[in-house]
Amino acid sequence: MKLAHMPEKSIINFHSFPEKSMIAVNGLVKDFGKNRVIDGIDATVSTGEVVVLIGASGSGKSTFLRCLNGLETLTAGEIMIDGVPLERRSSNLKQIRRQVGMVFQQFNLFPHLTVLENIIEAPIHVLRQEKSDAIRVAQELLSKVGLYDKQSCYPGTLSGGQGQRVAIARALAMHPKIMLFDEPTSALDPELVGEVLTVMKQLAEDGMTMVVVTHEMSFAREVADRVIFIDEGRIVEEGSPVQIFGSPQEKRTKAFLSRLSH
Amino acid sequence: MNFDFSIIFKYLPFLLQGAGLTIELAVLGIAFGILIGLVAALLKISHTPLRYIAHFYIWLIRGTPLLVQLFLIYFGLPQLGIKLSAFASSVLGLGINSGAYLAEVFRGGIEAIPKGQTEASLSLGMGKFLTMRRIIFPQALRISIPSLGNQFIISLKDSSLCSVITMSELLQTSQRFASVTFGSLEFYTTAAVLYLLMTTVISALLHSLEWRLSKQTRTRGE
Repeated sequence: MKLAHMPEKSIINFHSFPEKSMIAVNGLVKDFGKNRVIDGIDATVSTGEVVVLIGASGSGKSTFLRCLNGLETLTAGEIMIDGVPLERRSSNLKQIRRQVGMVFQQFNLFPHLTVLENIIEAPIHVLRQEKSDAIRVAQELLSKVGLYDKQSCYPGTLSGGQGQRVAIARALAMHPKIMLFDEPTSALDPELVGEVLTVMKQLAEDGMTMVVVTHEMSFAREVADRVIFIDEGRIVEEGSPVQIFGSPQEKRTKAFLSRLSH
Repeated sequence: MNFDFSIIFKYLPFLLQGAGLTIELAVLGIAFGILIGLVAALLKISHTPLRYIAHFYIWLIRGTPLLVQLFLIYFGLPQLGIKLSAFASSVLGLGINSGAYLAEVFRGGIEAIPKGQTEASLSLGMGKFLTMRRIIFPQALRISIPSLGNQFIISLKDSSLCSVITMSELLQTSQRFASVTFGSLEFYTTAAVLYLLMTTVISALLHSLEWRLSKQTRTRGE
């Protein structure tokens, strides 16, 4: 057996990632036209881990998140979700997206459907669940996020905090293995941020694998297993919240954090 | 001055019959138009070469008079061996004509739905087709209802052009009795009133439909 015969091309070797890794990203590059937004990111997220991405606006952190469920096409690099490579084929994308829930800054609830209908839509039409089963699950989820009595309301009648909690319940109804949060509290009035973060904390405690882009540093401190600081499309520094917030090593991380505290 | 509206009463049942045909033409024409318009709108926003077919169709139909289109269908097509009845020609003409305008209405409606709706739907594992059918189109249709109603009213009035390809709709019926009785003022006034009645009822119906649908999406405090 001569290992030297192994083809040189197989540098990208997902088997080198920890066995438990739920997300594996290798050499990710994303261009928007001539603009390079993500400039080579490697990262793994383990099962049950909560990773918070921080960075200035325009740093590429949201784009990175959107690559993880194929909302953005990759310019280069590879992504693996629970051992399955993300491809452009629509059947593959659909399969991946079933397992990766996403919560958006603007909630993106469906305004023509009631709260309950918003939640059961995908379970019925994608997972082909029986309507009665889907409703039961939806009601359980709504109780969990404290909105059981809002089932028959239309999204337009909800407050921002309620809307975002419904959006979280909607994503959870697909029983995802991973939840992505793209600045989930940035569009909320300050007094409504707490109720959404509480739901997210609960989710983290339940063992959900989460990747969160947020400006809520208190959430990162309390809930994150790992904080990743991204700047100009690259990972500048990563570590435990204590490390990153307590003793950042990189100049750019320090500069970013000091700007936040002012 | 020389007019006598009492002669109308004798002929009113015939006029109402003509109005009935007018409604029939308008309803079938717009239904056909919605179908064509929807397909054309979807083709136009698709990033396939098929969108040029939609472009061509809209350009051709919007750029030529309906009367010419009706003449071509009813008098022209038989030369190619395609013989359609006056009724079929009328529905076809009104359909492809309104379809060209409705294509733009639907396209506008679809493009008005925020991109986040598509992204949220795709993120839930729904495919492109399911997303269009369940999420985007129902919302786009709501936005399109006022313009759709507008087109319905236009088609109803345009159906009067079918009188020249031998359809006994409201205008042609009025014309026939006007010439027999020398009562142009009486019959054309009556025709105008009947058209007005029909368009008013349509507007009212659409208005209530719009109101009912908007109840759901209305936001707090409105």
